[in-house]
Amino acid sequence: MNQAASAAHSTAINTLQAAYLSALDQGDMAGWAATFAQEDASYYCISAENDRRGFPLALMYDDCRGRIDDRVSFVTKVWVGTYQPYRTRHFIQPLSCTAAGSNQYNVTTSFMIMMTPEGGATKILTSGEYRDLIEIQGDKAVFRSRRAVYDADVLPRYIVFPF
Amino acid sequence: MNAPMTSFNKPWITSPDGFRVPYEVFTDQSYYDQEQEKIFRGEAWSFVGLEAELPNKGDFKATAIGDTPVIVTRDQEGRIHVFKNRCMHRGAFLVRESRGNAKSFDCVYHQWSFDLTGALRGVPMRRGVRGEGGMPAAFDMANFHLDELRVANLNGVIFATFSETVEPIEDYLGEEIVATVKRIFNRPIRILGDQRQYVHGNWKLYAENTRDPYHGSLLHLFHNTFGLYRATQTGFSHMDASKRHSLLKVRAAAAPTSEAEDKEVYKDVRSYNTEFRLQDPSILAGRQEFDDGSTLIINAIFPNLLLQQIANTLAVRQSVTYAPDAFEIVWTLFGYEDDDEEMQLIRMKQSNLIGPAGLISMEDGEAVEIVHEAVVRDGKKTSVLAMGGGYAESSEHMITEAPIIGFWQNYARYLGLTSDAAK
Repeated sequence: MNQAASAAHSTAINTLQAAYLSALDQGDMAGWAATFAQEDASYYCISAENDRRGFPLALMYDDCRGRIDDRVSFVTKVWVGTYQPYRTRHFIQPLSCTAAGSNQYNVTTSFMIMMTPEGGATKILTSGEYRDLIEIQGDKAVFRSRRAVYDADVLPRYIVFPF
Repeated sequence: MNAPMTSFNKPWITSPDGFRVPYEVFTDQSYYDQEQEKIFRGEAWSFVGLEAELPNKGDFKATAIGDTPVIVTRDQEGRIHVFKNRCMHRGAFLVRESRGNAKSFDCVYHQWSFDLTGALRGVPMRRGVRGEGGMPAAFDMANFHLDELRVANLNGVIFATFSETVEPIEDYLGEEIVATVKRIFNRPIRILGDQRQYVHGNWKLYAENTRDPYHGSLLHLFHNTFGLYRATQTGFSHMDASKRHSLLKVRAAAAPTSEAEDKEVYKDVRSYNTEFRLQDPSILAGRQEFDDGSTLIINAIFPNLLLQQIANTLAVRQSVTYAPDAFEIVWTLFGYEDDDEEMQLIRMKQSNLIGPAGLISMEDGEAVEIVHEAVVRDGKKTSVLAMGGGYAESSEHMITEAPIIGFWQNYARYLGLTSDAAK
């Protein structure tokens, strides 16, 4: 079933994508977590190498809503003062959107993340592809699952924030 | 520019208040070049991979020992070989993929072809074309075998060395480290994936970090926040007889710690919060896997390997050097072939602890970088290693920097530095 999203659903999905990028680019971890469904949500950030080889190991493996909330706490509470602050700027490009049952869509989007360390020049952090299951709940869309598959075989630095 | 190291002997001093290491060892190209020849290409066994990464005949991986590129492969008889990744003709890379399966290694430049044992099997136009050109009569393909390294395979952990004289791997590691490797690699493993990260600092800062039980509960706030490791737990900080390698081990609460004692020990520590609770505590709900009750093993093997068991995360970490201010960490996480589904899930949840974004490893990359950047113009200044007494002796506790001193004494010995440190 390859149904195009209705105009209302398309708008909701675009709003969700913007909310996700906006939250991360402002360093708003709670805003990031708020883009996921309240129940039954997951976030995986995995290298293209592991993805291609069929290995489960991920950079971030948040297989339930509780761990998504915990990641917010790790970054905003546990790790405070530990990492050098850096800012990101995400750019995305839609690749595909297909219906996956009632009010759900499989959406793929390519991404590029620019990174600016405190006091440093802007560099490319990595690029990649989001593979999402997005659900329409009322008039808004949420991620039931987001899988960020990043291209870098070797990450250029340690990572604090989700992709 | 700093003085050449031959004239350098003052700062490596063990004094009553600690052992001192001059920062130029991290920043000077001359040290880096000496390390490549005398450590990575010298009398040491370097980690190159796990046998489980090469399950089939013809499987290969490209990696490096220090900054020398090598190929690790399994030949048609199932034997593991390690070669320099360099064609014997004009020096080009033989293998450019990081992994693959091959029947032979064929150089792209002039298509010289080597079999999986490293023997030269084909040279295009060797006898010339239409009677012209060709190799001289004295050219013998047998003289152009790939540069092959000695290989040791300890329970599926593959080490290689350029040295003809370094002792056998069991003697190199010593009894306790061999037992640790055999304990973790006690049955067939299953690879769960790799993680790779550039670190913008010197590789030896990471060698220090992985021999440093002192920082464990202080830098890694996740540890003491969630009780995975606290200095009040029982453990030990051992070295092998040569003091090249270290074995840091924490036992599961043999003597349960009280919250009051925790609070006293960590009263000066930033943001230690015993009240913090996880929304999803399953990340810490592991299984006891080993009879000895240890929950944390950090086993640094000189010069480029770290073998770890942190709760149920089993991993090797390989350091690959690029320059005085750049190296790469390659984590390979594994479980066992006979892991049930629940155990696989436990390992995946806990894998959040390690890697470039790991809850107790992100900060190690950071620690290396903030030291490297800060010392870059202070080569004659020194760090001080004093916790635990300031000498390289094994101890039955974790409040020490002794294994780091063991590393430096060996480093000085390998590089032939004239200093107190080598005594």
